[in-house]
Amino acid sequence: MAAIGALLTAGCSAQEVRQGWMPGEPGLTDKWDITANLWVGSWIAALAVGVLVWGLTIWAVVAYRRRREDTGYPDQIRYHVPLEILYTVVPLMMIGVLFYFTARDQAAIESLEEEPDVNIEVIGKQWSWDFNYLDDDVYESGVQVPLDGSESNEAQAPTLYLPVGQTVRFTLQARDVIHSFWVPEFLYKKDLIPGRTNYYQVTPQITGEFQGKCAELCGEFHSEMLFNVKVVEQEEYDAYMDELRERGQTGALPVNLGRVNTETGEQTEDVVGEDRGGQENSESGQGD
Amino acid sequence: MTKYYEAADTTTPVRVFDARERRGNVVVRWATTTNHKTIGYLYLITSFFWFLVAGVMALVIRSELWQPGLQVVQSKEQYNQLFTMHGIIMLLLFATPLFAGFANVIMPVQIGAPDMAFPRLNMFAYWLYLFGGLIAVSGFFTPGGAASFGWFAYTPLSDDTFSPGIGGDLWVFGLALGGFGTILGAVNFITTIMCMRAPGMTMFRMPIFTWNVLLTSVLVLMAFPPLAAALFALGADRRLDAQVFNPENGGAILWQHLFWFFGHPEVYIIALPFFGIVSEIFPVFSRKPIFGYKGLVFATIAIAGLSVTVWAHHMYVTGAVLLPFFAFMTMLIAVPTGVKFFNWIGTMWKGSLTFETPMLWSLGFLVTFLFGGLTGVILASPPLDFQVSDTYFVVAHFHYVVFGTVVFAMFAGFYFWWPKFTGTMLDEKLGKVHFWMLFFGFHGTFLIQHWLGVVGMPRRYADYMVTDGFTGMNQVSTLGSFLLGASMLPFFWNVYKTWRYAPRVTVDDPWGHGRSLEWATSCPLPRHNFTSIPRIRSESPAFDLHHPEVGAQNLAQPDSALVNAVGPGDLGGKQ
Repeated sequence: MAAIGALLTAGCSAQEVRQGWMPGEPGLTDKWDITANLWVGSWIAALAVGVLVWGLTIWAVVAYRRRREDTGYPDQIRYHVPLEILYTVVPLMMIGVLFYFTARDQAAIESLEEEPDVNIEVIGKQWSWDFNYLDDDVYESGVQVPLDGSESNEAQAPTLYLPVGQTVRFTLQARDVIHSFWVPEFLYKKDLIPGRTNYYQVTPQITGEFQGKCAELCGEFHSEMLFNVKVVEQEEYDAYMDELRERGQTGALPVNLGRVNTETGEQTEDVVGEDRGGQENSESGQGD
Repeated sequence: MTKYYEAADTTTPVRVFDARERRGNVVVRWATTTNHKTIGYLYLITSFFWFLVAGVMALVIRSELWQPGLQVVQSKEQYNQLFTMHGIIMLLLFATPLFAGFANVIMPVQIGAPDMAFPRLNMFAYWLYLFGGLIAVSGFFTPGGAASFGWFAYTPLSDDTFSPGIGGDLWVFGLALGGFGTILGAVNFITTIMCMRAPGMTMFRMPIFTWNVLLTSVLVLMAFPPLAAALFALGADRRLDAQVFNPENGGAILWQHLFWFFGHPEVYIIALPFFGIVSEIFPVFSRKPIFGYKGLVFATIAIAGLSVTVWAHHMYVTGAVLLPFFAFMTMLIAVPTGVKFFNWIGTMWKGSLTFETPMLWSLGFLVTFLFGGLTGVILASPPLDFQVSDTYFVVAHFHYVVFGTVVFAMFAGFYFWWPKFTGTMLDEKLGKVHFWMLFFGFHGTFLIQHWLGVVGMPRRYADYMVTDGFTGMNQVSTLGSFLLGASMLPFFWNVYKTWRYAPRVTVDDPWGHGRSLEWATSCPLPRHNFTSIPRIRSESPAFDLHHPEVGAQNLAQPDSALVNAVGPGDLGGKQ
């Protein structure tokens, strides 16, 4: 296994190794470095323990193998209390250290204390995303990406625009079943759960295009519930807001909206009150 | 001890497939048996059958992921059915009843009991498992196919509006039925261990495997009733329009709590018995007693206790749980688990090791499971889990944990106890081919998946994009999986060859250094297990019987304060 690890390592750049193959780059968001540092530090500690224990195992296998000239039985040692206390207390202290850094970092990552500059509501639905840009009072509604093994359809994913350097608070909602909002490069995901509102706050610091994915099984086309993220300069962001406004996509799509008929583009009536989100509507499309 | 063998030979028809016996008689005898060994073999055979079925599903899944696009399955729905049923079969129809199989055959012998406490309940539990499992999987034969909402069946996806169809209903009620079999089995194991130990078999002289069966059974009683309750509530939602898991009333999170309150102990339910198996094997092939017996027992108790306090670490990304509490409790589990590693290594330390197949499989377990444990500590940290949860990193992690434990230790147990099951020894050379193929196949399949998950491949994706750049890594994984699948061929050949041609074992302890009571009776195990039971004066009664000169070493132990403090029970032979 170590050999396989070495082979893999050989094919990777130094920077990839330095960030533990985490996607993205340092400074990508205000929280990227926190997670990446904890990741790399934890792995160093874990692999140190691993090397010790694998090493002891291999040593025992090699050094204490029965040789041809060996006869009889070794000493029947049954316990060694000081050693047993040692290998209980040392791991206890190690997880104490890991827990300290974990608690510190998760508090920072989950913090909502800073006042956000931009508020965006993300609504997960089978099998795409609606983005309500609450401050600009516009929205974008996505449809699923019909993957077919070629690259032709991959651009159809809806795009979430974020202004660089601005603190964004995502309000995460689900229209039908549980979904999960995940931008791999941001090193964070959080579930969108029907009947519950979750929040995620982040400040993207570098412009670029990233992928977003649904990470919680949500039905047949779970793997097609994709989106793009564009972190752009403020002007470009504003221009996109205007574009949405010109398209007439003003206001905000409600969480309990009936699903859109993909063939006619019409929204079906809101039947949430009767049956948990309108999924019994026979025109809800996409399913077959 | 020759006298046991001769005694056995006159009392029991040892060859099940004896040509002189009409086959119909065999069927009737097996179907009507209350013998704990026969029931155990039924469990072992049935669960191994499900292992193969779900393994084939896994190969279909891996083939589908060979490249972007759908090539093997006809729809993503079929793909979802495959991984759902793969997961649930492996956990509830393979690993859990496999524990019941090993426990049934071996545990009563290890404590010197003639049978289980409730033989008929024992068989009833098996029938519940068999028919519950068949019902759950029979969804494949319905028009809409089997359940496709993932093995943890998150609501509202698993309710009748999002997953209509009889396949989901069969899944829910079949598993509920089978779960009762598991509960009844656990009651039986606990009663047997508490009430039927032979004279001299104190709790602290029980083999570690028996200890682990006891604690696993306690965990079953903690975990399976909530699962049964949750499944019946889900069934009521699906069939009777109940509103238990209505998301407007918080039902989505309620299901997750109930499910994982079962689901996390379940991981230990399928791990502890297999820790027990390797704890039996390391001493035999190290020619030393288990190191730190009491520490190992307390570590197992600690794991069992902690395992019911950590369920919400599966729910970090829901934003609905108290992260620091569950993170800390989860990390704590690493401590007793680490203690176990040092016990196993301490057993080998300064021993005299030989590498027969059971030992090889146990070492494979040690190396593999360690890595699963390390990634487990990583996943216990919520900031890291936020990134890698629901990705292939988690898939890799839990395969290292459960495959590393259950499958490696299962084969360790098969090779180790085959003479007790059948009176013949599996072929060592084929066993080693089997081991190395499976070992490299397994690591080839799953090691690379850690990287896949970190760079962004979510689990349960039927398809991925060309531009994702996941293709190469998926192909490595798929190639590994086929080597893993192919490793079953030498095993089947081994079983067949052994059945047809292997010489009969004529001694009680073919390995030569067995310690627990099953090595003080004949191969295969005679009716009611013993014609006489040796004196039990330590945790190694069979070893004391066969090698009294080694046990005498322990008489030389000084009567120190330490011995007074920890008690003489684990100092074999000392009186």
